Amino acid sequence: MDRRDFLKSAAAVTVAAALPQAARADTTTFAPKPGAWRSFDLVTRVSIDNPQGTMQAWIPLPSVSETDWIRPGDSTWTGNAVKVARVRDPKYGAEMLHAIWADDEIDPTIEVTSRIATRDRAIDLTKPGTEAALSADARKLNLQGTDLIPVDGIVKETSDKIVAAANAKSDIEKARAIYEWVVENTVRTASTRGCGIGDVAAMLKSGNLGGKCADLNALYVGLARAGGLPARDVYGLRVAPSKFGYKSLGAGSSNVTKAQHCRAEVWLAGFGWVPVDPADVRKVMLEEPPTNLPLTDAKVAAARKTLFGAWEGNWIAYNTAHDVVLPGSQNTRIGFLMYPQAERAKLQLDSLDPDKFRYSISVKEVAA
Amino acid sequence: MTSPLASARNRIAPLAASGDSPAAPFTLAPWRGGELPAFTLDDLTGATRHAAAFKGRTVLVHFFATWCEPCVPELASLQRLAHAARDEPLAIVAIDVGEVDLRVRAFFDKRPVDFPVLLDRDRSVAKAWNITSLPTTFVLDATLQPRLFVEGDLDWSRPDIVSAIAALYPKRTRTDVPASGRSTSPMTGGHNGPT
Repeated sequence: MDRRDFLKSAAAVTVAAALPQAARADTTTFAPKPGAWRSFDLVTRVSIDNPQGTMQAWIPLPSVSETDWIRPGDSTWTGNAVKVARVRDPKYGAEMLHAIWADDEIDPTIEVTSRIATRDRAIDLTKPGTEAALSADARKLNLQGTDLIPVDGIVKETSDKIVAAANAKSDIEKARAIYEWVVENTVRTASTRGCGIGDVAAMLKSGNLGGKCADLNALYVGLARAGGLPARDVYGLRVAPSKFGYKSLGAGSSNVTKAQHCRAEVWLAGFGWVPVDPADVRKVMLEEPPTNLPLTDAKVAAARKTLFGAWEGNWIAYNTAHDVVLPGSQNTRIGFLMYPQAERAKLQLDSLDPDKFRYSISVKEVAA
Repeated sequence: MTSPLASARNRIAPLAASGDSPAAPFTLAPWRGGELPAFTLDDLTGATRHAAAFKGRTVLVHFFATWCEPCVPELASLQRLAHAARDEPLAIVAIDVGEVDLRVRAFFDKRPVDFPVLLDRDRSVAKAWNITSLPTTFVLDATLQPRLFVEGDLDWSRPDIVSAIAALYPKRTRTDVPASGRSTSPMTGGHNGPT
């Protein structure tokens, strides 16, 4: 999709709002419900290709802890690094294992195993609870712009137009209007490397709203923040197949080296952090058989209805960090920490190219 | 304070089509935003390049990224322009914004070009030039004054675009014409893969 027109898009929101209703008659279900916890062992192996000079790596560790849906456990490591330290991003609390090898190490390798427990999330958005208010600091953090997600200029203008076109008054109406707009107006682009970059202003400016989760859900987060709604990207990894038959929304095997996926959350008073994942709606459209499904398809409609307020616990979160400074690195900060990072002779390796980097990630479900 | 680029955009550059009609193609527009800061960046071979070294030729400064879909065919059209204008006083400079060296090198290994590719690793030049959308391209005259710009992708081999750039070429003197018929300016050094 190229250079879309806002008015066309805004009009589509109204039509789209009725679509999930039509899906109710279908047998397709996508209904995550908080239930049993599942535990996974995540094994990340980094072995720096063509070793030379100073070599170091940063491996993301699961560091989102929420009593309702995710509990990071212990992380252990083996390998031949001369120095290994667990470090934490001071702004967002993203944790990583920082490994440094001797300059003459001929096979710099580290293997990190992280235990993590998670389960489905589903929030009944018709029944506000007694969720404590967001702290002033957390509110400020989750309303501000980042390097690639400005909350002024075209992002603010677009957010205001979406909210006005939907006549949204309450926070939940605004959050849903933005969700529907992102679902309607973006497209998943199969050729996008990794999960995308998430350069929100560039997307809106160019009118090219194609990409993957780091693009589409960053767009949601930027539009929400610009509209005054605290929101955040949650960077993570798919670790198991979907139990609802959505092949596109789960890990296809125990090799999850390329299964990174970021989701989003929006803070709504009375509900707390609400799961949101418009990017996965577009993924269902593109990938579920027979592929290239329309918004009216029952499977798409079911996902669309569910992914504002719920998500399936076949995915684990690493962190919610932006603009991460890798300690000990002389290279520029990175937009987000979802892939292993490494340097060789001060040269940053391409984290989107695990075969040349090299790294692999595998997962195994374990008894809780 | 409104930046020169922002004010120029507001006056000149349409960003999207309206209604159901096809989007209008992007086009070169006069730059009225004043001077832009000089830059010093590494190229893909690790050599340091200074903006001042391009003085004396018309310079096309192209901001792009490998993840930017419209940038890929646009780079191919820049290569066509580079080939077509190889005897002209034109320097093309592509600036990759915010990507790791190895990713950019791998990209140009598959798509070699005859013009230098510079690395704006921390986006400092893009920020200084107030680049908010990729691709964005400026055409500077031989004194490095920005004269034209486009925020969006262009086919740089289009005759009207080639003519607009040619109108900015410095007037040649007899001694400017190389004996071989090929430019000998050091500004044409291209990237033929990582070193």
